[in-house]
Amino acid sequence: MSQKMHFVTLIMASIRNKPGRNLATIFCFAFIAANIFSAQYLMAGAAGNAEKGISRMGADSMVVPAQYEVFIKGAQMGPATVNGIVRVEPSNFRVSNNIMDNIRKVPGISDMSPQLFVVTHAIPELSSSPVDIYGIDPDTDFTIRPWLHHPPEKILGPNEVIVGSDIAGEVSSQIVVSCQLYTIAGKLDPTQSSVDHSIFLRMDDAYSLAAYEANASPSFSPVAKGDISAVLVKAGPEADPEMVSARIQQPFPSSYLRVIGRNFALEPVSQEISGLPNLLNMISGVVVLASLPLIALIAAMVAHERQREIGLLMAMGAKRKIIFSLVMAESLVLAAIGGIAGIGTCLFIFSLLNSQVFLNSVLQITFITPQLTRISQMAGLALLVVIAIGSISSLWPAYQSSRMNPYDAIRGNGS
Amino acid sequence: MITVNSVTKTFGEGTSEIRAVDTVDLEVQPGEFIIIMGRSGSGKSTLLGMLAGLIRPTAGTIRIKGLDINTLNDNQIAELRSQEIGFVFQFSGLIPTVTALENVLIPTLFCPNGPGNRETALGLLKQVGVADRADAYPGTLSSGEMKRVAIARALINKPSLLIADEPTGDLDIATESEIMALFRQLNSEGITIIMVTHNPDLIPCATRTYRMSQGRLKREPDSPSCPGEQRTRDENTDLR
Repeated sequence: MSQKMHFVTLIMASIRNKPGRNLATIFCFAFIAANIFSAQYLMAGAAGNAEKGISRMGADSMVVPAQYEVFIKGAQMGPATVNGIVRVEPSNFRVSNNIMDNIRKVPGISDMSPQLFVVTHAIPELSSSPVDIYGIDPDTDFTIRPWLHHPPEKILGPNEVIVGSDIAGEVSSQIVVSCQLYTIAGKLDPTQSSVDHSIFLRMDDAYSLAAYEANASPSFSPVAKGDISAVLVKAGPEADPEMVSARIQQPFPSSYLRVIGRNFALEPVSQEISGLPNLLNMISGVVVLASLPLIALIAAMVAHERQREIGLLMAMGAKRKIIFSLVMAESLVLAAIGGIAGIGTCLFIFSLLNSQVFLNSVLQITFITPQLTRISQMAGLALLVVIAIGSISSLWPAYQSSRMNPYDAIRGNGS
Repeated sequence: MITVNSVTKTFGEGTSEIRAVDTVDLEVQPGEFIIIMGRSGSGKSTLLGMLAGLIRPTAGTIRIKGLDINTLNDNQIAELRSQEIGFVFQFSGLIPTVTALENVLIPTLFCPNGPGNRETALGLLKQVGVADRADAYPGTLSSGEMKRVAIARALINKPSLLIADEPTGDLDIATESEIMALFRQLNSEGITIIMVTHNPDLIPCATRTYRMSQGRLKREPDSPSCPGEQRTRDENTDLR
C-alpha cells in the first residue's frame, strides 16, 4: 500500500458520493458519445459502400437501345437503377453486337463488355424473388466479376454460372434453370439490389437458353444470335468519361442507340447517401449544443453543493489551481466514463444488429463495416468531443470554485 | 511566532459597514497556549480566520514566523497554511466521502514534501485515540471521534501552530475533557495553540487568555490553576 495519498482517491471518492447524480451525468456524456460515434460509424459505413461500390461499378457508361432509356425512366426505377451500371435492367430491347465494332474505335475506352438479358423466372428453390438471367462475356466482363466473393481460379466455362448472393447453392454445386443443369462457378457479394437474385452465364449458354425459352413459351421475345441488351463501357484513366460518351453517341442516331453516363446510374445512390451525413451531423450538433448548458448547470450545482468541502481543502493548504484541477478532473473522469460507456454500448448494439445485414435493410444501401483502425479513430473522436464538452462546461464552475474565499466557503457564504 | 499589529477587519461599506475586528494587537510566542473567549459575533472566528490566512485584514499587519501575510499571494499563503498551520474547525470539517485515515492524509496532498504519510497518519489516529476507527467513514463516527480525527488531520504535516475554533463546542463534558487533555499534551510537545472557546472552565489550561468584545481584544487576568498543568509563557517557550 502506498504511503502517500493521491488526488485520484479524492476524485473517485467524490464521484462515488452521489451515485444517482453522477450516473445521470455519465448517462448524458454516454448519450453524446453514442450519438457522435454512431453518426460517424453509419456515415463511414455508407461512404465505404459508395467507395467500394464505385470501385466495383467499373462502367462509366452504358450503350443501350434508345427504347431502353424510355423504359427505365418510365418505370421510375429507384435505387436499384444504380445496378444498371453493373448489369442492364431486365428489358427485351436489344441491338446487334455489331455496334461494338464502332464503339471499339472510339478513343479513350479502356474496357467494354456486352450483356444480354435473357429471361426472368420464378424459381422458388433458388430464390424467393424472381430470378433474372443474363448472358455476359467472361473474357471482357469488368462489372460482374469484381463482385465475386472469391474470384474463381479459371474463367467462366460452358454450363457454368455466376450467381447473386440470394441464389441458393454454394460454389461447385449444381442448379437447374429451365431444365438446364449449370455448375455454380462463383457467388457475388451482397449488393442489396436485384443483382442478388440474378444468374450470369456465358453468352453462348445465354443464346442456347434463349432458344430453349423461345421453344417453351410462344410469348417469349426471340433472341437472335449476336443480340445484346447493352454494352458497358469504361473510359481510360486519362479520358474524360463524358467526352467518351459523346464520342460513342456520335455515329449513332439517338433514336437508335443511347449512351447513358455514369451519373445517371450513380445519381440515385449519391442522393440517397448525401442527405445522411448532413442529417446525422445536424443531430450530433444539436445534441452537443443542447448538452453544453445542461452539463454546465450540473457542474455548477456540484461545485455549489461542495463549497464547504472546497473551503476546507483550501484551509488545509490547497492552492487555487489545485481546486480548479480537482473540479475539472472530476468532470473529465465522468466524461471519460460516459464516453467509453456510450461508445461501448454502440459497438455492442451494432454487433448485435449484425451491421452487415440489419443496417443494410434499414439504410437501404450496402453498409460496409468500417475497419478496426477507422473505428478506433471514430471512438477517439467521440471520446475527445465528450471530454471537450466536459472541460468546457466545467470551466466556469471550476474557476468560480477556485476563486472562492475559503473562509466564506467554509461558512457556506461562498459565491 | 505571531505578531498582530493594529489589525482591523470590516465587512460591508458605508452605513452597513461592520467592524468585526477592531485594531487588535497580539504577540504569540512559540509554545504558548492562547485562549480567546467572547460572545457570538464578537469577532473571534474572524480573528482566527485572519491568523490562518483565510481572511485578509482590512488594515494592520499579521506576521507569522516573520512573514507578513499581507504581502503573500494566495499560493504563498496556501503553502504557509499547509506547512505551518493546522486548523480545527468548530464543526468536524471532515470530508464525508473518504475514511478517517484518508481525511487525516488529505493535507499531505497539498504538502507533498512534508513529513505526513500513511504511517504517521495511523500514529496520529492512535495518539488521539481513534486508531481502531481508521477505516470508518465520518458518517459512522461519533462527534468526539470526528473531532479527534479532525485534530489528527490538523497535525499531519507537523505544523508549528494549531488554531482551533471552538473545538469542544458541541461535545459532552467527558469528551470535552478528553479533547482538552489532548490539546494540553500537544502543547506540552511544543505546538503553539490558539483556541477560541465559550467555556470559561478551560481558561486555566491556557498560558494567556483574551476576551473579545465588539471586535476588540482584551487580556484577561491569569488564572491560578489548571489542575497540575499551569505553566508560564517562558516554560512553554523552552519546550520548542
